[in-house]
Amino acid sequence: MTASENQVPGPVIELRGIDKSFGPVQVLHGVDFEAHVGEVTALVGDNGAGKSTLVKCIGGIHPIDAGDYLFEGRPVHVGGPRDAADLGVEIVYQDLALADNLDIVQNMFLGREKKSGIVLDEYTMEELAAETLAGLSVRTVKSVRQQVSSLSGGQRQTVAIAKAVLWNSKVVILDEPTAALGVAQTQQVLELVRRLADKGLAVVLISHNMNDVFAVSDRIAALYLGRMAAQVKTRDVTHAQVVELITAGRSGDLGLQQANGNGAKA
Amino acid sequence: MRAAPSPEEIRRHNLGTLLRHVHLSGPASRAALAERMGLNRSTIMALTSDLTAAGLVTEELPKTTRKAGRPSLVVRPESDRVFVLALDLGADRLVVARVGLGGTVLDRADVARPRDSFDADEIISALAATGRRLVRQAGADAVCVGVGVAFSGIVRQEDGVVRHGPNIGWVDVPLGAELTRRMALGLRVSVGNDANLAALAERARGAGSGLDDIIYLHGDVGIGGGVIVGGRLLGGEGGYGGEVGHMVVNPGGRPCGCGSRGCLESEAGELALIALAGRAGQGETGRRAVEIIVDAADRGDATARDALHQVGDWLGYGVANLINIFNPSMVIFGGVMREIYMGSAAQVRSRLAVDGLTAAREGVRLRTSALGEEATLMGAAELAFSDVLTDPLETLARVRATD
Ligand SMILES: Nc1ncnc2c1ncn2[C@@H]1O[C@H](COP(=O)(O)OP(=O)(O)O)[C@@H](O)[C@H]1O
Ligand SMILES: [Mg+2]
Ligand SMILES: [Zn+2]
Repeated sequence: MTASENQVPGPVIELRGIDKSFGPVQVLHGVDFEAHVGEVTALVGDNGAGKSTLVKCIGGIHPIDAGDYLFEGRPVHVGGPRDAADLGVEIVYQDLALADNLDIVQNMFLGREKKSGIVLDEYTMEELAAETLAGLSVRTVKSVRQQVSSLSGGQRQTVAIAKAVLWNSKVVILDEPTAALGVAQTQQVLELVRRLADKGLAVVLISHNMNDVFAVSDRIAALYLGRMAAQVKTRDVTHAQVVELITAGRSGDLGLQQANGNGAKA
Repeated sequence: MRAAPSPEEIRRHNLGTLLRHVHLSGPASRAALAERMGLNRSTIMALTSDLTAAGLVTEELPKTTRKAGRPSLVVRPESDRVFVLALDLGADRLVVARVGLGGTVLDRADVARPRDSFDADEIISALAATGRRLVRQAGADAVCVGVGVAFSGIVRQEDGVVRHGPNIGWVDVPLGAELTRRMALGLRVSVGNDANLAALAERARGAGSGLDDIIYLHGDVGIGGGVIVGGRLLGGEGGYGGEVGHMVVNPGGRPCGCGSRGCLESEAGELALIALAGRAGQGETGRRAVEIIVDAADRGDATARDALHQVGDWLGYGVANLINIFNPSMVIFGGVMREIYMGSAAQVRSRLAVDGLTAAREGVRLRTSALGEEATLMGAAELAFSDVLTDPLETLARVRATD
């Protein structure tokens, strides 16, 4: 049932010692990060800690200045978003790039026909879109021919996520997918996030909400001022410890032990 | 020593297994079924032609052929023509549904309940009348193969007697026998505990699919439990086991409907949350009330947040106990426990990190119900389907004879 059974153990994405600066300002300092198949990794940290920047480095939007990027254990060079997509890494950004004037099917295939080189007919696209949504047990969307402008915030997130998994992606990264949603819709999106991982994807979830993080994550990676304070298994830590990691970079034995070191891995 | 099974027994077993495959996993090609069941294709063909003749499945060519060569026929359950009645009877809900083979809800009716009355006679009459109406409305060529009831209380499975319905005040009500008599469909009505049935449904076609050790917590006023150990529902001597809602987590705590104090359900259920949030008697109850509290907490309401913290703490103690005792691979939160878990997960899991034995919590997955609000209803449907899935041809012959 879980895809992890016939997978090689070890992270699907592994970053080592990532540095990233914007002009004179260094935003990421020697960051280590891992994402695993079948797991949700929550990426947490205060505003400005560098979460979005890290994700954009993974997605090839920002070139990294130093460090290693390993995919399924092999070093790779990700020079742009296309490279990331070719590896099977999909990112759903905070500002969703959905076209309001198009329907769900058109949105899910937008910018894709050319890349895959296959021309799909309308019927097949409609079927694939509906299959993907059904496969994710999405029951809130009535018709795949609905205009995106008529969807609620939660439904838009759902479509964006479904779009990300439509092309056999291996890693899906979600930058604050629930930030603008009410509680009921947040819970549905979180269940969807959990289902993606249970279907065998590696999922990275950025969230500020500790309940959301604890509800669905298997691991928590806490960034503190551009440094990875700690990557821990969710089952081994408490709410209070994670809050300390976020606000102080350390909590007891966990976290940054001196000013410029990377955190211990638990 | 038991004698080897006869060819007839083997055939019956294979027919049931094949039907169960398409019932739970959906249409499948003969080739796929042969592989899954470890039988050769000619045996599968013999089985599917028996099931087709009985009107339980159809076979057709696949819509799109991806591979070259002769395509393997796809076997589909006769969802529109073979159905059961599923009844869901809880403090918050009275539902009767027609569920087709394959698990599709074909038709459903919410039965109105006289306000604040749980009079057994009236409720049973209303359910029976609705059930008969749904059967009448089904097409003339459709056949009802079973009736199952999910009841939120303590049920004696063998004869469907409700021993105790704590939140609706029933004691020793012969629910199964009365429904059988008043529906007069020529089918025995089976009754089970709602959380037990939901646990089985989540294992059959939900979050716990393929797992042998799961615990399902169902919130509906109280907290019901279904414990599956080694692939079998834990019943105990009288079949009343699994009532984890009445596990004491806080000695001397809040009074519980069962007469005790500090039970998991009185500390971590919706009533506790509503009371702690200072919203008792303010109109909204049940899921809606819980949603309002979780929403208020999310917006920074300190009382709501505190209430969720406390409830989450007790839920964490309860789940830690269950994990330590049963070492399940999954705990599923269903009914209104879904909202309560999602709203207090940080608390629940912090408790587990502190109080769960390391080895037992290592592998456990905490999940919300995949069947959602349908979990108990689907559980009732699965109970109703059990005869036809055990002995398809005999069951069909029997129900057709009573038509
Ligand atoms: N394109 C950019 N140019 C310059 N500075 C940037 C850019 N993107 C982010 N930053 C800076 O990097 C830091 C980290 O930002 P960000 O990664 O967005 O943090 P987070 O997502 O954790 O809130 C901030 O100080 C932000 O101002
Ligand atoms: Mg950000
Ligand atoms: Zn009790």
